[in-house]
Amino acid sequence: MLFISHAKTQRREGVSPFFAPLRLCVSIFLGFVLLNATAFAEQRFPPPDFESGYHLPPTATPAPRAEYMQYVDGMVLLGALALALWFVYRSRSRRGITALSIFSLAYFGFYRKGCVCAIGSVQNVALALCDSHYVLPLTVLVFFLAPLLVALFAGRAFCAAVCPQGALQDLVLIRPIKVPAWLEAALGIIPHLFLGAGVIFAATGNGFLICRFDPMVPFFRFSGSLLMITLGGAFLVVGMFVGRPYCRFLCPYGALLRLVTVAAKWRVRVTPDTCTQCALCQHSCPFGAMREPTPQKSEPLPSARRRLAGLLLLLPVLMGLCAWGGSKLALASHFAELGGWVFGAWAGLVIGGKLTALSVRHNRTDFEPDSSACFACARCFETCPSERMRRGLIPLEPVHKEE
Amino acid sequence: MNLELRNSGNERRLWLATAWIAGLFCLAVCATLVCQHATATTNDPWKSPQLLALKSALAASPKDAGIKAQIRGLDLKFRQRYFRRIAMNRTGGWLLLGGAALFLMATRRAAALRMTPPAPPFDPVAASEILRQAARARWAVAGFAVFFAAESTAIILNIPRKAPAQSALAPVPAAKAPAAVNDLPPLAEFQANWPRFRGPDGSGFSPNAAAPLAWDEAAQTNLLWKSAIPLPGFNSPLVWGERVFISGGDAEKREVYCYNAGDGKLLWQRAIENVPGSPAKAPEVLEQTGMAAPTMATDGRRVYALFANGDLAALTFDGAVAWLKNLGSPKNQYGHATSLAVWQGKLIVQLDQGDDAASNSRLTAFDGATGNVVWEKPRKVPGSWASPIVVEAAGKAQIITAALPSVIAYDANDGAELWRADVLEGDVAPSPILAGGLVCIANPSNKLIALRPDGSGDVTATHIAWTCDENIPDVTSPTGNGELVFYVTSSGMLTCLDVKDGKKQWEHDFGTEIQASPGIAGNRVYVVATDGHAWIVEAARAFKELGTGALEDKFFASPAFVGKRLYLRGNGSLYCIGEK
Repeated sequence: MLFISHAKTQRREGVSPFFAPLRLCVSIFLGFVLLNATAFAEQRFPPPDFESGYHLPPTATPAPRAEYMQYVDGMVLLGALALALWFVYRSRSRRGITALSIFSLAYFGFYRKGCVCAIGSVQNVALALCDSHYVLPLTVLVFFLAPLLVALFAGRAFCAAVCPQGALQDLVLIRPIKVPAWLEAALGIIPHLFLGAGVIFAATGNGFLICRFDPMVPFFRFSGSLLMITLGGAFLVVGMFVGRPYCRFLCPYGALLRLVTVAAKWRVRVTPDTCTQCALCQHSCPFGAMREPTPQKSEPLPSARRRLAGLLLLLPVLMGLCAWGGSKLALASHFAELGGWVFGAWAGLVIGGKLTALSVRHNRTDFEPDSSACFACARCFETCPSERMRRGLIPLEPVHKEE
Repeated sequence: MNLELRNSGNERRLWLATAWIAGLFCLAVCATLVCQHATATTNDPWKSPQLLALKSALAASPKDAGIKAQIRGLDLKFRQRYFRRIAMNRTGGWLLLGGAALFLMATRRAAALRMTPPAPPFDPVAASEILRQAARARWAVAGFAVFFAAESTAIILNIPRKAPAQSALAPVPAAKAPAAVNDLPPLAEFQANWPRFRGPDGSGFSPNAAAPLAWDEAAQTNLLWKSAIPLPGFNSPLVWGERVFISGGDAEKREVYCYNAGDGKLLWQRAIENVPGSPAKAPEVLEQTGMAAPTMATDGRRVYALFANGDLAALTFDGAVAWLKNLGSPKNQYGHATSLAVWQGKLIVQLDQGDDAASNSRLTAFDGATGNVVWEKPRKVPGSWASPIVVEAAGKAQIITAALPSVIAYDANDGAELWRADVLEGDVAPSPILAGGLVCIANPSNKLIALRPDGSGDVTATHIAWTCDENIPDVTSPTGNGELVFYVTSSGMLTCLDVKDGKKQWEHDFGTEIQASPGIAGNRVYVVATDGHAWIVEAARAFKELGTGALEDKFFASPAFVGKRLYLRGNGSLYCIGEK
C-alpha cells in the first residue's frame, strides 16, 4: 500500500526517455514558431496606389480602456495575493496554488497582455521619482508596492501564483534538473544587475529596458520581435528542465523581492511538525531553494571571521572601482555619466554583498526553505510525510508492508 | 494491489498516448505555419513579375484602362492573400497554444503516475559539502565579476567617443582641423543657400529665388545640366555655394556625392564605410524607402548624412571624413526616412523607431565639429518619417518634431520640452512647417492643423488655431509663404489655404501621382509629379498656372531653390533647371 500511496501522491517530475525527442521538437517549434507566426501580423501593407477622387477613410482609433478597469486590475491583484497567502499559509494547498497560477496567467498574462505588471512597475516608480513631469498611475503603484509589502511580511507569495511570467514557467516545468549551487550563485547576480540597469535607464529617461527585454510578453501578446520571441522560446524550452529560469536568473523584480524577503516576518516552512530529515522536500524543490541542515563540525571560527571581515572591507573598494568603471562605460556609450556611477556602485554592492552573504555562517538543524529563493510553490508541502500526516492525508498509524 | 497497478498503468498509457497525439498535432500545425512563412517571405507581392510587368506596361501606356484594371485586380488578390495569411497565423497560434497545453498536461500526468517514488538518502557526511559548495560559489561569483568587468572594458575600448583615426579609413583624405562653432557662416549665408530638407527653415519657401517658369528635357529647354547618380536614394539635394550634395545607398554600400553646381560635374564621391558599430547586415527596408531616404544637412562647414542602417557621417566640403558613428540600426518597418537638421553648429537627429512608445526613440543634438553628444532627449513615440524643423518662434529657438501621437517642440539650446499637442494619428510622414507664425502639420489623410507655438506643456486643448480637413496629404509636406499654405495629395490635388484662419482659397486637381513636397520660389509654387511633369502656379488666392516643366525620369525628392536655379533629384539623375 505504501508503494501505491507514494506513487500516486508523490508528484515527482519525470517522464520516460522516449518523450525527449518529441518534447524537444515541440519546444523548439513552440518557441520559434508559435509567436513568430503571429508576429507577422506586425507587418504593414502599403496603401494602394489610388487615383484621384478617392479619399482614404480616417484612421479609426479604438476607444481607450475604461478608467475603472485599472481599479479592477488593482483589486484582482490584491485578491490574488490574499488567495495566494491563504493557499501558502492556511490551506497549504499545492492544488490551490496551481489553480491560482492558471487564473493569473489567464488574467494578467493573456487578458491584460502582461501589462500592467509588477516587474515593469519598478521603472515607472524610478521615473516618477526622477522626473517631476511624470505622473505615476495609482494602479502601477499598487502593482509595485503590494507584492513587496506581502514579501516583507510573508515571503514571495506573488511569485507563487500571481505573477503570470512565473506561472507560465511553472506550468511548463516537466522534468527539473538541479542547477549546481556555484552556478546558481553566479547567475543569481544577473537579476540584480538587470534591476540596476532598468532603474537607471528609466530614471534617466532612456526607456523601459525591463519591458523591452521581457521574454514572456510576446507569448501573452502573440506578437513581438524575433529576438524576444526567440529569447522567450529559449526560456520556455530551458524552463521544461530548469525550474523558472527567468525568475531565478533574470527577473529584476524577483531581485527586489529577494532583498525584501530577507527581512520577512513569516516564512514558509515545510511543516510545523517535526522534520524527519528524509530530504524528500529538498528533492521535490525544483528551484534549489531548500537548504539542508548545517554540519555540526564546521570551519574553524577564526578563519571564517577573517574571511568575512576581509570581504566586508573589500565591499566599499569594489563599489568604488565598479562606480568608476560604470562612469567610463556610460561615457563610452553616450549615457548619462551620473547614471554610470550609480549603476557601477550598485554592481559593486551586489557582487560584494553576494560574496559576503556566501561567507556568513548559518545554523540549521532541519531542512528549511531559503526564504529569499523560495517561490512558495507548495511542492514541498505535498512531499513531506510529516506534513501529510499532520493534514490527515496519510494514516497516522504505522504502515506495514503487505504480505 | 495488482488491479490498482494495472489501472495506474492503463491511465499512464492513456496520458502518454494523449501526449503523443498532442505533440504530433503541434508539429503538424508548426510545419504548416513554417511552410506558410517560408512561402510568404519568398513571395514578395511587390516583386511579383506579373505586377512588375503590368506596371511597366502601364508606364508605357498610362491611359490604358485595361492594364489599370488588371493591376487593381492583382493588388486586391495580394491583399486578400495577405490578410488570409494573417488570419491563418492567428488561428495557428491558438491551435498551437491549445495543443501545447494538452501536451504539457498529458506529459505531467504521465510523469506523475510513474512508479518510481524517490527515496533520497540523507548522508550526514555530505553535509560537510556545504562548506565546499559555498567556497565554489564564492569563486563562481568572483569569476562572474571578472567576466562582467572584462565585458565592460571591452565595451569601453571598442566604442570610441570620437571618430577613428584617419589611418583607419585608408582611402579617405585627411580632414582639416574641425572648425570652431564661431567659425560658422553668418545666418544670411545660411538662408541664401539650401542647407537642409526643404530649405533653411524646412518650409520649402525661398523668398528671393526665381526659378524658371518652363523647362523641357526633350527640347533641351532650360535644362542647364543633368548628371547621373551612382546609387539610388530618395533624399533631396542640398545646395551651398557652388556645391550640390546628395547621398545614395543600397544594402551593400552607402555614399555621399558632391556635384559642381555650375556644370554638374561630380566633384567627389565618398563611401561611408568602416563606421564603428555599423551593423554587418543592412536592415530590411521597403524598396519605396531605400537606404538613403533622409536628406543630408550642412552648416556651411561640413555636410552630414544619415542612412537607414544608422550610419551617421560628417564630411568636410572636400569629402574628407570629419567623424563617423553609428546610431544603432533604426527599427522602422518602412525604413528610416527622417531628414537631418542643423542649428548653430549642432546637428539635430530625430531617430524615432519601433512600434510603440518604449522603443528607444530619441532626439539628439551632436556637436557638428566633433560628433560629441551635446544633449539627448528620449521620445516616447514609435517610428515616424517626418523631419524636424528648427525655427525661431515665441522668442525661442524651437525644434519642432512630429510623430504619433504628438507634435512636440524642444528648446534647441538644451533639448528641454517646451510644448506638445496630441493631434496626430497613423503613420506620420508629412513634416511640420512654420507659416505665418503658426506650426502647420498634416495629420495624414485626416486634417491639416495649425498650432500656436507659444504655449507650454500640453497645448492640445488650448493652442490649435484652426484645422482643415479637405484634401489632406498622407506623404507630402505643406509649404507656405507666410500668407498662404499649399499642400498636395499623392493623387495630385493641390489645395491653397489662408494661413490666418485655414479657409480654403482654391483647389486644383493635376490628376497624376505626386510624391514630392511642393516648394515656393518667390511668388511661384512648384509642384513636381512622379512622372517628371511639373507645374508652376502663382502663389496667390486664385489658381493661376504660370508654366509647366517636363523631365524624363521619376521624381520623389523635393525641389531645391537657390538664386535662379532649381535642383531636382530624379531616380537616376540630378537635374539643374535654370535660364540659359
